[in-house]
Amino acid sequence: MGFCFTHRASIVAVILCARFAAAPALAADKDAINAPPTAQDWQALAKLPDWSGVWTPVISDQVAQEKTNRPPWKPQIAKQIQHMYAEEEAGRPFPIIDHCFPTGMPSWMLITHNAFEILFTPGRVTILGEGDGNRLRRIYTDGRPHPADPDPSFHGHSIGHWENDALVIDTVALLPQAYLAVSEAVGVPNNGDMHVVEHLHLQGPDTLADDLEITANKVLSKPWLTTRKYYRQRAQKFDIAEGVCEQGSFTDAVDKNGNAIFAPIKFDNGVPVGSDSK
Amino acid sequence: MNRASMNCAALALILAAALGAAPSRAHHSFAMFEPTKTLTLKGTVKAFQWTNPHVILWVLAQPEGAAAAQEWSLETTSPGVLTRAGWTRQSLKAGDRVSLVISPLRDGSHGGSLNSVTLLDTGQTLVPSFGKEQPGLK
Repeated sequence: MGFCFTHRASIVAVILCARFAAAPALAADKDAINAPPTAQDWQALAKLPDWSGVWTPVISDQVAQEKTNRPPWKPQIAKQIQHMYAEEEAGRPFPIIDHCFPTGMPSWMLITHNAFEILFTPGRVTILGEGDGNRLRRIYTDGRPHPADPDPSFHGHSIGHWENDALVIDTVALLPQAYLAVSEAVGVPNNGDMHVVEHLHLQGPDTLADDLEITANKVLSKPWLTTRKYYRQRAQKFDIAEGVCEQGSFTDAVDKNGNAIFAPIKFDNGVPVGSDSK
Repeated sequence: MNRASMNCAALALILAAALGAAPSRAHHSFAMFEPTKTLTLKGTVKAFQWTNPHVILWVLAQPEGAAAAQEWSLETTSPGVLTRAGWTRQSLKAGDRVSLVISPLRDGSHGGSLNSVTLLDTGQTLVPSFGKEQPGLK
């Protein structure tokens, strides 16, 4: 009897240990760890929808939505937006994605002209983009909550969970300077407290749709609902290219020692106007 | 301040000046180019800069009426997008004789957005493109 009790207790202990090992790491717990994935964790990935390949944005739809689904800007923000459109029309586009900062969230999903890919690993979905050097989203799907006081960043802190075949992503802790943009020349910093909820899902065999609900109370009068679409490419020539944005501010040169270096290009109003190094 | 530290300070000033002359203005909208106006230029490739976020073609061209050859910078989309449109970093090289169709800068300075480039020695024409908006492109 004593043996049985001990044996049962051992089994319960093993089950409990296994349960806790598989339990989501609670970010509020300062001792939370990223547990090593098990074989079952890797096998579970096979049940997720197939989002492999490279996704290219439907740019014409981005442009169309500038007219058909405008963000509900607050009146004072709408004046800034109107001015930006006028400046763009006059050939003086506002440099929203200048200085090679990441386009950030949610503008990356809204205005990009470049492709991205999506990787599944246990407890995590990673979106890798092309263009701005650090175009990368880490979406934790291990059940953790947002940290109590996350550091603000261009892409924010994202947690996700699956609802059928849709990945629901909740993003907070975005830098107030991160733009809410509708094009490369029109948009404003969110100014703080922006919250983005996305439903990312297939809308056909090779079309990915991102339904976004953007709450940005400093610049929007109400949450903005919009959808962006991306087409799947499988040809290897569509593979993602490295995108180090700052490299475009330099050109190839050789120094006095014969070493290959980058030499700065001269710019005037955002346009390259020459380099003595060529 | 000893001589070495003076040299360091001077170098720092030179570097600061150089960096100041080259602000990171790499990624931008193309609204500064005049989309409804085209200009044809013939010239020689000085460099073909295969970089993100924008590929830059540097060409020495002498437009009609110009007294001497001028350096023109022609911007287009990114290496990833151009690769999908059939380009490679070897598509153009220094010394290639080219004819260009561009949308020039609205302010008249020597730059523009590249609409197409024809290699005069082979007749091959390359056109930057985002590609068709459909899945499964070959």
